[in-house]
Amino acid sequence: MRFGRKSMEKKSNRSFRKGAVLALALAVAGAGSAFAAAQINILETGSSLLYPLFNLWVPSYAHMHPNVKITTQSTGSGTGISQSIAGIAQIGASDAYLSPAQMRMHSNMMNIPLAISSQMVNYNVPGLNYKHLNLSGPVLAGIYSGKIRNWNDEQIAKLNPGVKLPNHTIIPIHRTDGSGDTFIFTQYLSFSTPSWANSLAYGTSISWPAVPGGLGAVGNPGMVTALTGSPYSIAYIGVSYRQAIDQHHMGTAALENRDGKFVLLTPHTVSSAAAQMVPKTPQNEAVSLIFAPGPDSYPIINYEYAIVSKTQPSAETAAALREFFSWAIRGDGGNAPKYLNPVHFAPLPPSVVKLSQAQIDQIQ
Amino acid sequence: MGVSAIDVRAAINQPSIFRLVQRKIFNSAGWGLCGLTFLLLGSAMVWILKMVFVRGAGALNLKVLTHIQIGVAGGLLNAIEGTLVLGVGGLILSVPPGIAAGIYLSEYDGGWLAPVLRFMSDVLVGVPSIVVGYFGYVTMVATLGWGFSVAAGSIALAMISLPYITRTSEVAFRQVPRTLREAGFGLGCKPGTVIMRICLPMATPAILTGVLLALAISVGETAPLIYTAGWSSFLWTGHLTKEPMGYLTYAIWAMITEPQRSAHQLAYAAAFLVTLFVLVISVIARVVTFRRSGWGQHA
Amino acid sequence: MSFKNILAPIASIVGVTLIGIVIFLGVYSWPAVKFNGFSFVVKNDWNLGNLYANPVMHRGHLIMPGAQYGILFLIVATLLSTLIAVVLAVPLGVGSAIFLSDGVPAVLRPWLSFFVELLAAVPSVVYGLWGYAAVIPLLSHTVFPWMAKHLAFIPFFAGDTGSGYGLLTSGFVLTLMIVPLITSTMRDALISQPRGLREAALALGATRFETMWSVILPSTRRVLIASSILATGRALGETMAVLMVGGGALNYLPNNIYAPITTMAAFIVSQLDSALEDPTGMAVRSLAEVALVLCVISVIVNGAARLMLYFSGYQRLGGGGWA
Repeated sequence: MRFGRKSMEKKSNRSFRKGAVLALALAVAGAGSAFAAAQINILETGSSLLYPLFNLWVPSYAHMHPNVKITTQSTGSGTGISQSIAGIAQIGASDAYLSPAQMRMHSNMMNIPLAISSQMVNYNVPGLNYKHLNLSGPVLAGIYSGKIRNWNDEQIAKLNPGVKLPNHTIIPIHRTDGSGDTFIFTQYLSFSTPSWANSLAYGTSISWPAVPGGLGAVGNPGMVTALTGSPYSIAYIGVSYRQAIDQHHMGTAALENRDGKFVLLTPHTVSSAAAQMVPKTPQNEAVSLIFAPGPDSYPIINYEYAIVSKTQPSAETAAALREFFSWAIRGDGGNAPKYLNPVHFAPLPPSVVKLSQAQIDQIQ
Repeated sequence: MGVSAIDVRAAINQPSIFRLVQRKIFNSAGWGLCGLTFLLLGSAMVWILKMVFVRGAGALNLKVLTHIQIGVAGGLLNAIEGTLVLGVGGLILSVPPGIAAGIYLSEYDGGWLAPVLRFMSDVLVGVPSIVVGYFGYVTMVATLGWGFSVAAGSIALAMISLPYITRTSEVAFRQVPRTLREAGFGLGCKPGTVIMRICLPMATPAILTGVLLALAISVGETAPLIYTAGWSSFLWTGHLTKEPMGYLTYAIWAMITEPQRSAHQLAYAAAFLVTLFVLVISVIARVVTFRRSGWGQHA
Repeated sequence: MSFKNILAPIASIVGVTLIGIVIFLGVYSWPAVKFNGFSFVVKNDWNLGNLYANPVMHRGHLIMPGAQYGILFLIVATLLSTLIAVVLAVPLGVGSAIFLSDGVPAVLRPWLSFFVELLAAVPSVVYGLWGYAAVIPLLSHTVFPWMAKHLAFIPFFAGDTGSGYGLLTSGFVLTLMIVPLITSTMRDALISQPRGLREAALALGATRFETMWSVILPSTRRVLIASSILATGRALGETMAVLMVGGGALNYLPNNIYAPITTMAAFIVSQLDSALEDPTGMAVRSLAEVALVLCVISVIVNGAARLMLYFSGYQRLGGGGWA
């Protein structure tokens, strides 16, 4: 434990050198600031359903506007809503509109639809994934509340005559993060099943009934991974993850709509539902598109919202946001097929583009 | 009473072959089992390292190191930068008070304050890192309005590394021979001079070990940063507040759950970099310790 | 002003940090503590209420209709996963410590020790990645079905093995994370026992393992207990790894050892943003109460271990440079 003086000096020298290296690293990191005077940083966080679309938008938009840096983050609609209200994120991406209480308390917040999305109900039942099982709101409510525990339950069998269902426990998977997918899925259950509406209702986070073996997952990606890794599970997943679902050969259900028909998610069934519901869109655009009437209507479609504050910290940020959103909702901009088709979204109808633009113009 | 004292004495004095064999078996089985436990831990370590380095090496390329992240593809430059900035930022904030506390605990152990501080520092080690993150979010990010930022992330990391630096600094100062201090006092130096001019240089290598370990811990942390530093896919523009920051551990967590292959590649590349960095620091720290205490003698 | 008086306030930052966290949690969660009462820790009902309805007054607190908070399932899952980890880690840690202290040549000892202790250096999220990508597929397809079939006579080992995410998986991952703590502390303690003790036992004709098992090991009992408690503290607060392999169970207790769980630490990460959506703020404050409960348990556990080590006169805490 005793040093000679020399070795002592050598050691403290070395430590200074290390300190210098660290300081240099910091200095290099900080040097970026000098070149970025006009840069505008925008944080987009929230919906994992909207995340793939933002990831298509942002690189293209960055080409046109190199000074606008948009960070995208897939955290769940709950995060999008709460962090944009808190002013931490400039764009809160959400599949759910703000609740009435939030609207009242934060009157400067707006929901601006950017596109129309939909949701799949997927399952991993070995041997049946190539088929489209018929499922209804009440049956899904039964599965998620633990009243229907087995795949060969007679309520499922009744909807699927002639299908040989396995005698195996169902693993229902739900989102644990605050999620717009949970919001629209539980709206479907609430609107189709009175007992669900009266007990659990809908929201971005609900108190999921305890189903032994049931899994929780974070984000749509987490849902996909949990589903593919767990045979006999069932999950609700945003349509922008359709490619992943197909790649893993998972099953996709045909859902019962308001007219009692079982419909698959196709561009036609989505636009049929949209045609029924879009005219009901109010000025502030907070509206549910779930459980549309009409024989061809797919029951779970929704607006993908940007939750934005009318009052931005700086005029530059406000201008950048206005410009970005105006581009995003245009048919020759962000709503062009080259962006929406890969994520299976539908473009905003012209009437909604007008409403959205009116809201966008309020960002100051 | 089935066994009499005579039986016992007989067993001791004339060990039966059976008993001897039994003891031999116990001996070998004991060593065998202990070796097995070691083998188990060793193979788990090999498994982890193999996964991280084999898959990580496959995912690593020049683009990962030189480009920023674009959605679920691109590179990790923003995260590498963030990890370094936050790690160094955490150290800048935690090293001075940590060393000060270490000096106080070692040099002024007499009063009431030192034992109390030592106990609190030891308890602070046990405060779960997510609790620190939660604390940072509510106080700095939300209430003070800093937003996700380098400042909030660095302070959270500093709170976590502070007790480690305190502990290693205390040990480092305690290892400085008493005779050196006495020599200093004998020459008429004041306590401050003795500590800063004589003890501190002597203790520097050991303190540095502690600082390196604290850096390794900071680099490997995720939970306290998610709600303080946030996430950004761009390079830092130098603002301490209102500007979120990316870091490698978040990239591992966020990218491995994405379904795309490009995202998984990023996650494994990030895991490679983080693990490599932490292991290199551990090896350096260990080598410093060995040099001081002598090879092979280390207990 | 003396050097000591300049030093004291800077040195006190470490104490202020701890006090700051504890006071913050206490004050911030106080409305939730009052609202939730004792049922917070005995009920299985974490329910934010109907977020799309109007807030209502309930027992003097503004909440969303139907909101109530009970975290028994989190406490049970945290304690059970920690229990599994400690039960597995103690024999592993002691066995490997014995092996490292007396079973290998002194030349190899530091290298082999270092290799095992590296387990403590691997970041939590990398454990999570490993568990998620490598361990869960193996457990769910091979190990768990085998266990459920052949070990079904053990309580809670039978039944549905589920998805691989869950209690036992979390326990396994936690085990590896805390073992190095026990190994390094115990190895140091075993080596530092007086040489005479060893020689006396050997001279009496004891085999080397008998010496270790019956003479050396018992004399390190206190260190073993204390290091196990410290390891417990670490396992209780582990976040990312458990978040990634736990399965995210909500509002129910595990019915066997394969069942999905959420621990308190993982719950705070996954729920903070949802909680922030509650306009009345009761959800965030209840989450602060979760943090408070976790913090109190951890502080008690750690404090107990430190006091125990202090009274056993053993100063090299944690060993291995990591804790």
